[in-house]
Amino acid sequence: MSATTYLTISGVNKRFGGLQALRDCSFSIGPGKIICLVGPNGAGKTTVFNAITGFLKADSGEVSFKEHRLTGKRPQAIVRLGVARTFQNLRLFTDLTALDNVVSALPDQFGEEPIGATFRPFRTSRAQKALRDRAAAILSDVELSARSDDFVRNLSYGEQKLLSIGRVLATGAELLLLDEPTSGLSGDALESVMALLRRLREQGRSQLVVEHNTRVVQQIADEVLFLHQGHVMAQGHPQTIIADPALAEIYFGGAL
Amino acid sequence: MDFLFSYLTLVAIFIILSLSTNLLVGIVGIFSVSQAAIFGLGAYIVGYCLVNDVMSFLPALAVAALASLVLNVLITLPSLRVSGDYFVVTSFGIQLLATAAFTNLTEITGGASGMPGIPPAEFFGLSFDSGFKNFLLAAIAATIASLWFALLMRAPFGRLLRAIREDELAVAAFGKNVLFAKVRAAAIAGVMAGAAGGLYAVYLSFIDPTTFDLNASVLLLTMVVLGGARTLAGSIVGPLVLLALPQLLTFIDIPTTTAAAVRQGIYGLLLILFMVFRPQGLVGEKL
Repeated sequence: MSATTYLTISGVNKRFGGLQALRDCSFSIGPGKIICLVGPNGAGKTTVFNAITGFLKADSGEVSFKEHRLTGKRPQAIVRLGVARTFQNLRLFTDLTALDNVVSALPDQFGEEPIGATFRPFRTSRAQKALRDRAAAILSDVELSARSDDFVRNLSYGEQKLLSIGRVLATGAELLLLDEPTSGLSGDALESVMALLRRLREQGRSQLVVEHNTRVVQQIADEVLFLHQGHVMAQGHPQTIIADPALAEIYFGGAL
Repeated sequence: MDFLFSYLTLVAIFIILSLSTNLLVGIVGIFSVSQAAIFGLGAYIVGYCLVNDVMSFLPALAVAALASLVLNVLITLPSLRVSGDYFVVTSFGIQLLATAAFTNLTEITGGASGMPGIPPAEFFGLSFDSGFKNFLLAAIAATIASLWFALLMRAPFGRLLRAIREDELAVAAFGKNVLFAKVRAAAIAGVMAGAAGGLYAVYLSFIDPTTFDLNASVLLLTMVVLGGARTLAGSIVGPLVLLALPQLLTFIDIPTTTAAAVRQGIYGLLLILFMVFRPQGLVGEKL
């Protein structure tokens, strides 16, 4: 499959009042890779995510994923086509257990509408058990099995980050958009998130990752997209992008 | 004995109403203050059908439940667009409108003087014409409603609704249809409240607009808060405790007119005290 037929964003513009958040934003990425989206604060990274996943209606431009046109579709339709996202502020369900957070995101649940739940209680409870088993397997993938029955509010920040990735995995989407999965983490927690992203790549899940930490970028990225003032300035190998003095000037306000 | 059955019959009917309110307010987080309007719609439909011989009890109850389903979905729809505080105001307006309709559609409802002479429920050759029989009818209905509530809450549907209360946007981000889920919850709450209205009409044989006014909606909210939000037990304990209150007040030597005001005052005070000191109610979760 060529890169142009996987995720393609072409000529997307978005204006918030006087701010041009996305300016003729275009790029395309291929499958099976970790692509890091970098850029200074306010570059439009989260806006790109919102435009891809249908949380924001772009003023103009096109977004497509494989043979599907995503432009104008609602978030829930886009997830079913295979593109799912996490949120910078996680948005976990704090009054549910870790396991139930993951179950919530599993698609096509029997008993998710009241007629089936009312008139076929036994099938519903079998389905419920199967869902919990699937969710438990995902929790084990993100190394949270031990916290399965704990409420989210009792999890550490690092565990919450892992859980938010577990929850997006549950959607079954093949392309994951991860909004700052490592921010605020250090030491073991940071290492375990990086290891998880690499494992997911091995399992064939493509990832577009907003990432600020250049060390993390160098360690996990196959490719880097450099966004500045809503426009993709450069796309390429992490070393090349990080070594580019012009980009470093924009990113850090000075050379590295 | 009659006194006990009368208390328990009302408790059973209010358990159904509490479940309806709990589902909307506690589980989904749609803060409705107009559940008494739906309760009234059900009561007036069944009352009207039986008094005017339009149809017998069971079909009338079915029509009442269906009409309540539709109305509750319609009045909940604004909650899909206006959030939180704004919906409370919308819902408040709907409750006032309903009271105005019950009071002024004199031809149908009998207006402020009420609708007297509603005959007892009759079906399958049985007539529910005694206190005990009415209690049985209400108790069976409350049991069905409780089982239904428990079944739904154990199913993925229950988890979906709880997730929606916490973060609609996140739920949509995982491919779930938030709109459908909310409409379904409102439909179920409507059926419960409407059916409770029908049972109330045949039990008391007289209904008037004051039973279905804003005070009644506040009473339902108080039951959910005091009993405890989001649990079946909360919706049973709430009515048990709060309906015993007027009976207890009769032991205090105050005029009946004052008693009504005292009762409202106590409801208000309980709401405040529970919100401040025990937001999870007696046997529930934090609202």
